[in-house]
Amino acid sequence: MYQKTVTIIAPHGIHTRPAALLVKEAKSFDCDVIVECNGKQASAKSLFKLQTLGLYQGVEVTVIAQGEQAQQAVERVSELLITLS
Amino acid sequence: MQVNGIVVSTGIAFGQALNITTQPQPLDLRLLPLSSIETEKQSLNNAISKLIKHLQDCQQRVCPSCDNFQLIDADILLLEDDELLTDMLQHIVLYRVSAAVAIDRTFNDQAQVIAEMADPYLANRSQDILLLGQRLITILQGANQHDLSKLSQDTILLADDLTPADFAMLPLEFIKGIVLESGGLTSHTAILARSAGIPALLNCPWSSQDGHITDGSPLILDGMSGVLYINPIPTELASLQLKQAHHLEQQQALMTYKDMLSQTLDSHPLILRANVGNLSDISSLMQVGAEGIGLFRTEFLLMNAKALPDENQQYKLYSEAMHALSGQMLSIRTFDVGADKEIPCLHQHTEENPALGVRGIRYSLQHPEMFMVQIKAILRAASHGQIRLMFPMVSQLEELQQALELIEQAKQQLREQGARFGSVEYGIVVETPAAVLALASMLPYLDFVSIGSNDLTQYTLAADRTNPKLVSSYPTLSPAVIRLIAMTISDCQEANVKVCLCGELAGNEHVLPLLMGMGLNELSINPSNLLAVKSRVINGNYQTFLQHAQLVKQLKTNAAIDEAIKKFNLDN
Repeated sequence: MYQKTVTIIAPHGIHTRPAALLVKEAKSFDCDVIVECNGKQASAKSLFKLQTLGLYQGVEVTVIAQGEQAQQAVERVSELLITLS
Repeated sequence: MQVNGIVVSTGIAFGQALNITTQPQPLDLRLLPLSSIETEKQSLNNAISKLIKHLQDCQQRVCPSCDNFQLIDADILLLEDDELLTDMLQHIVLYRVSAAVAIDRTFNDQAQVIAEMADPYLANRSQDILLLGQRLITILQGANQHDLSKLSQDTILLADDLTPADFAMLPLEFIKGIVLESGGLTSHTAILARSAGIPALLNCPWSSQDGHITDGSPLILDGMSGVLYINPIPTELASLQLKQAHHLEQQQALMTYKDMLSQTLDSHPLILRANVGNLSDISSLMQVGAEGIGLFRTEFLLMNAKALPDENQQYKLYSEAMHALSGQMLSIRTFDVGADKEIPCLHQHTEENPALGVRGIRYSLQHPEMFMVQIKAILRAASHGQIRLMFPMVSQLEELQQALELIEQAKQQLREQGARFGSVEYGIVVETPAAVLALASMLPYLDFVSIGSNDLTQYTLAADRTNPKLVSSYPTLSPAVIRLIAMTISDCQEANVKVCLCGELAGNEHVLPLLMGMGLNELSINPSNLLAVKSRVINGNYQTFLQHAQLVKQLKTNAAIDEAIKKFNLDN
């Protein structure tokens, strides 16, 4: 298992457009990618679930993956979480 | 039968009604027999595939770098989402309800969760979720997605509102008119309809007449008086056909003013320039005989660009514009980004209150790397002819001083590079009450001032002109705005600085006598209104304009001003 914690800095958090880009990226990895925020978990491959997490500016998010390419997936998804706006 | 609306694009249109708002039918909440469950699951899957297919088709008509493309992408991703599908299928099985009920509940629950989020921007996304759910239900219920590509008859489109993406997909050859239930004067639909020359009414409660309008009902849109006629009777039809013929004739007649001198009967001149949003507009300003460009909105160069155009690209563009004008004045407004203009290549941050946020000169001063590129390109273009350079949204002397300081730096850099550049005249666009009140301190630095009446009105009355609930009670001509315009003119005259007006107000021929009478002798107008204004100048008498302005300046209510202007135009 591989994991990393980042803080969202985008002023309006991860809203529809950035979330869609993130989901597309996450889907390109074979392994499961989980995003955890305020005690709630969602698959990074599900826009439907991701939208309910409340990824606001200033919130701490942990990205967790297991299996093939876990490290790359976590690095990529957490990078997007801090760069997308 | 008639319904009133607000005219945002003039003209008269005849066509059949086409309502493109889709209302879902009421849901059947009964418990399903077990035997129907598989069928419901199947029809849910079918509806999803159908909607995905439709969205993909729409997406193909939009450029991949624009926001609309990505937003449609998000809708597709949601519809493809396994977790969403599982939730809906489980709903059908567990509660034994129809697919439509499962969609309704799942999307509503989701929207509810999102609506409760602390960030208002994120919370607002719940509307998008509800809309997507509704679309899915209408597909399931077998309602037709309006395939406008197959239109073959003159049509007047009825909708609640249209997004720019919707507009991009309209077959404009058959869309003769647009009637919207909501919308505001400066909304995207209004601007797009005007530039396409399609008569349009906004704020028109057509759906309250629902019983009388069905698709195919004959309609007449009178975009001169702001009336929609439903099932017009023969006398109405005849009189509007006459009115249309008259309107067309009038437009034809206006062409005779094109080459005439722009001056009143008693020989008082008025300079008429054109507002321009892109290079192709330049040809239309030549057709109406404008004396150059009074407002070149440079942010249009950025709208569809993937990246900020570099110095050479911008230099080429400004030079091209100048050549096309063959020596006439080119007034360039530096990038006015922010507020409602979202520009993908700038990666702007969304703001809580964009109208009061980082827009106009504020954005340029915070992004000198972008501003300097534009300034250098303009200075270089100025080596080929006369350019006026103006800064949008300046409200404080410091902003003007900082902008001028950056221009000095730009000149220094050009000198070091050995690049040729010319001198320009400097101006500001007066758009805030603060700019008017602080104008005297700025005038020593300026060669001219341009009054942006749209924003000046919005900021003076603190009223958002795109808000349909405010449109009718906050008109452009209120005593407060007239006073600010008068103050601007008198300060400029005292300091011997040229002053012009470039907002929508300038394009209204009925207001022309007031503007001239107040002392303006230069206006910048949308090319389509220029000749109507010019005809008013040529057929008017400056001495009466002066008296009219004296009277209007004393009036205390919007209604009194409105009345006085109507009366003056009838009598003179």
